[in-house]
Amino acid sequence: MRLVRLVAAVMVATAVLGAVGFAQAKLKVGFIYVGPIGDYGWSHAHNLGRLIVERDLGVETVYVESVPEGEVETYIDQLVRQGCNVIFTTSFGFMDGTLAAAQRYPNVIFAHCSGFKRAPNLATYMADFYQVYYLNGLMAGALTKTGKVGYVGAFPIPEVKRHISAFTIGVREVNPNATVHVRWIYEWFNPAAAKEATEALIAEGCDVFAFTEDSPTVVQVAAEKGFPSFGHYSPMYDFAPNHVVSGQIVHWEEIYVDFLGKVKAGEYTAKNLANVDYWWLLSQKAVELGAKSGMPVNPVFEGALKAYIVDHPVFGRISVYDLVFVRLAQMGNPGITFDPFEGPVYDRKGGLQVPAGHWMSYDALITMEWAVEGVVGPWPGEP
Amino acid sequence: MDWQSWLIGTVSRALAFGTPLLWGTLGEIYTERAGVVNLGVEGMMILGAFSAFAVAQTTGHPGLGVLIAAVVGGAAAVLHAFLTVTLRANQYVSGLALSLFGLGLAGLLGRGWEGIPLRQPLPNVTIPGLSRIPVLGPMLFQGQSVLTYAGLFLAVVLWVLLYRTRWGISVRSVGESPSTADALGVNVFLVRYLCVGFGGLLAGVAGGFLSVAYRPAWTEGMTAGMGWIVIALTIFAAWDPLQAVWGAFLFGGLYHLSFRLQEFVAPELLKLMPYAFAILVLALTGLGKARRRWGAPGALGLPYTRGER
Repeated sequence: MRLVRLVAAVMVATAVLGAVGFAQAKLKVGFIYVGPIGDYGWSHAHNLGRLIVERDLGVETVYVESVPEGEVETYIDQLVRQGCNVIFTTSFGFMDGTLAAAQRYPNVIFAHCSGFKRAPNLATYMADFYQVYYLNGLMAGALTKTGKVGYVGAFPIPEVKRHISAFTIGVREVNPNATVHVRWIYEWFNPAAAKEATEALIAEGCDVFAFTEDSPTVVQVAAEKGFPSFGHYSPMYDFAPNHVVSGQIVHWEEIYVDFLGKVKAGEYTAKNLANVDYWWLLSQKAVELGAKSGMPVNPVFEGALKAYIVDHPVFGRISVYDLVFVRLAQMGNPGITFDPFEGPVYDRKGGLQVPAGHWMSYDALITMEWAVEGVVGPWPGEP
Repeated sequence: MDWQSWLIGTVSRALAFGTPLLWGTLGEIYTERAGVVNLGVEGMMILGAFSAFAVAQTTGHPGLGVLIAAVVGGAAAVLHAFLTVTLRANQYVSGLALSLFGLGLAGLLGRGWEGIPLRQPLPNVTIPGLSRIPVLGPMLFQGQSVLTYAGLFLAVVLWVLLYRTRWGISVRSVGESPSTADALGVNVFLVRYLCVGFGGLLAGVAGGFLSVAYRPAWTEGMTAGMGWIVIALTIFAAWDPLQAVWGAFLFGGLYHLSFRLQEFVAPELLKLMPYAFAILVLALTGLGKARRRWGAPGALGLPYTRGER
């Protein structure tokens, strides 16, 4: 009898404590990564964001890595069981699984990276690089001697196609006859494939390189042959200090801290996320120009870029070095006054895609399948 | 784009990409020749890749890194031998477990080592004199790794050992019929341990090549499936070290061409070649007479218990 009473007391106490705990809404945040956090690319960058969240907001976080895209729901179940009340899923392929889980757990807040399906408790977010790729393109156009710039792409999906086209617009703004040669490796991470794709581009005469893939391979291979290149995603300056010109760096923490701050403040709840979509660019500081933070252009290339003068339709005679910083200011400062896809933009089959004076809409950007003039190479799914 | 530059480019890239495949395949050939399947190549390679990088980065000696990679790969293989030869566990299960274990362990140990360039990679060599020969020079003797030539040399040595020495006969007899070999006084367990361990040694070198020479950096999962191509190549080479040479370089060349010809040929088609060829070889060598000559070792995959038939 005594025992029963004791058990009952414990149960009541637990329930009360549990309720109090819930009332305080202590955040436990789960992250689901598609790759290993050691990939030094996409998942690595998200994980750096998670660590900053933990440090700056003092919330508890957990993560699972290398989650196959079809199995995301199982891992969400597991995180919910562990007590997570906010869950970030960080791969496009997690989209449908996240939506299904969001419907199953209406009290848990979800945010899905790079997708477009939302629900009252499911927001979407993305830090996009297309402006930065355009700036990289300006420099690549000035540095190529053969007029052929190489680009190693992961998958022919709208995101990567948008980046290649933005990059190509930059290249041809300062070097109208240059072309951008593309090879796909059909994987997000495969150093050997990235290496052989770069070698193939070198054999075709390319002498400046950019890429979308989760390893510093392209930078290393180009440097081995003495060619300039642009880093991607993580700071890759150290891999080739004399050959990395610039690149793109992501700061997921900007989005994570903002989002979770609003959850903590009660602004975001599991009821009002249906229209919450972060599409953060240069001006929100979610992305940065450079091969390492705080260095937009490698000083090694400053001379060459300053010596390359173009007759610009808007700015007149201007060095590419100055042009990069003018454009960076136009897109990076609040009140954006320039977009790389400012019309008229023609696709490589000659069709007018963006009329003069217009910018592309967000929807058009994220579903973009066509390639701009100047892109050379296979383009699966080209309309 | 003239034919010469295509030829030079393809062959020289075939040598570079084919090198880790060759080392891995030579190792797996010896393993399987002794009657043991080791599907743990991917795991041994990645352990080799990590240890080579860690040692090379710490000491500044990439050669030492490759050496340690060999030791680590060998040690992992001995674990497989213990499970399958001594404890007679299922070889396929043990090998798969070794692959998963290796990928996981290397990933765990590798935390914090990613994103660092290797301070001293294994240098490529250009052979003076020979590299000046037109076409042939840049194709074969320019900017290749020492491990490429060492792999070629090793293939010849291993072929001679396997087919022209008493020792080679012992290895092959253990793989064909361990009970007969045992009756003839061959130490089946010792031979199997040695061959499996040696196979791991070479897989370790293959992994080390990737992280200190081919692309000098560490990233988790950087072998990206190469270990599985090795398994397919072992079958494709019909368990013959010399056939492994052209097999490895053929796939190296095809891999390079899959990027050169991307506009004209679906890359998936060229990428599935190793597996398609392996299936073809398996199908062909399964038939009657071909089996004796090119087929798998008779006792492949079977644990040996003394006194049982």
